[in-house]
Amino acid sequence: MRTRTLLCCGMLLASLHTRAQGSGADSSHAGYAPVISGSLGYVYNVQGGVPSLEPQINPVLLLPLGSHVLFETRTDFTGFFERRHGTSGDYTGEVFKTVDFAQLDWLANSHVIPIAGLYILPFGLYPERLEPLWIANLQDLPIDYSIGTRTTGSGIGPQLRGVAVETNHFNIQYTAYYSVHSNVTELQAARTAGGDTSIYFPGLRAEFGTSYQRFLDNHQINSAAGYLTWQPSHTPLDLKAEYDRSHNGQGYWIEGNSMLSSIPVANSFFRRMQIVGRDELFFPLNGGGNGVPTVETKRGEAGINYYIGDDWRLISSYGREFKSGNNFNIWNLGFTYRFLWPLAREKK
Amino acid sequence: MKNLMPIPLVTIYAALVALSLGIAATMPPLIAQQSDPKSAPLTPAQRGERVFADNCARCHRPPMTIPPQATGTVIMHMRVRARLSRQQEQDLLHYLAP
Repeated sequence: MRTRTLLCCGMLLASLHTRAQGSGADSSHAGYAPVISGSLGYVYNVQGGVPSLEPQINPVLLLPLGSHVLFETRTDFTGFFERRHGTSGDYTGEVFKTVDFAQLDWLANSHVIPIAGLYILPFGLYPERLEPLWIANLQDLPIDYSIGTRTTGSGIGPQLRGVAVETNHFNIQYTAYYSVHSNVTELQAARTAGGDTSIYFPGLRAEFGTSYQRFLDNHQINSAAGYLTWQPSHTPLDLKAEYDRSHNGQGYWIEGNSMLSSIPVANSFFRRMQIVGRDELFFPLNGGGNGVPTVETKRGEAGINYYIGDDWRLISSYGREFKSGNNFNIWNLGFTYRFLWPLAREKK
Repeated sequence: MKNLMPIPLVTIYAALVALSLGIAATMPPLIAQQSDPKSAPLTPAQRGERVFADNCARCHRPPMTIPPQATGTVIMHMRVRARLSRQQEQDLLHYLAP
């Protein structure tokens, strides 16, 4: 109910303030119409021989109030359907709905962007940056994803983010937040505080970052992450890696992908093809739990994605997870589609 | 817990890196101006292209065609996500909505 009230207020304000040409556009021809964007997909997953069907849609609503204030929200609808008897019988399941974020952003200046509302907890590379369906190169989240994202992956309260230092040789960016505890349906969050900062070197095309969170509900737990990204200038290689540690365990993952854009044979076919691989290792501490495995776990995945135009993508991957006495294969096959629809006509 | 190391994946990574680095010599720079600091000052659109390559492309591929009436809105969203400065936002506007 509160979500609907919030959305209605946002849409009302947007309708009063929407204009096709924003004051911040200067001499460009950018417009500031409300937008519905997002992605949808369908994944056929087989894990340890048990198949499941996972249709998803994640619409994002962007409502600008002029060119300095933005209300944005994303709701995730994910279906999970399994065969009634594991590997036989008809498919049965349900669709889960989650509000990932519903936040008001004030683009105050280059150094500070205050945010209020429900936001994605900024911890490491995946939650804010790599998790969206149309961005993720492999559909399975890393084993240690739960570190720093408890309990729901979202926080409620204030957040500050922006550019701390910007030079020709490096940029330092930051995020700081405090989240209150909330039991409101669809707006649940834990009491946490934390932040993220990264430094990017344009010359190297490399980024080094770190995240910290103190979980303040019940048992107070510290979580920390260190990550790096590297995209060499002269090659379509994209490397990312992250190390996470908390009271419940520690682990790392390293992921690489490359577009096959330089294969001279059948280039029009191969330039749309992407190969990707990820290797992960996790060690439980203090018995593990809280979303992470209770035993040492290793997983390796490799995939091939094929882009049909800019919006449609066929995805496929194979992985194998190694646990004590329980090794199994993971297969994913499906497609993703990203959409973007302005809610106002272009001005002539 | 024997044979925990997924050796085939190490091979895949090695092949991926070798493939990418092996074809590097045939690739033009992703941003032509970046390696030539003595060249003429970049236009706002060229600076916007660099902002895109340095920030947005760290996470995702170039965008689909963005309708002009929505470009400002999308870039506001990206400024928040990618923690861009006001100047970077303006440069992106000139790149994506010249």
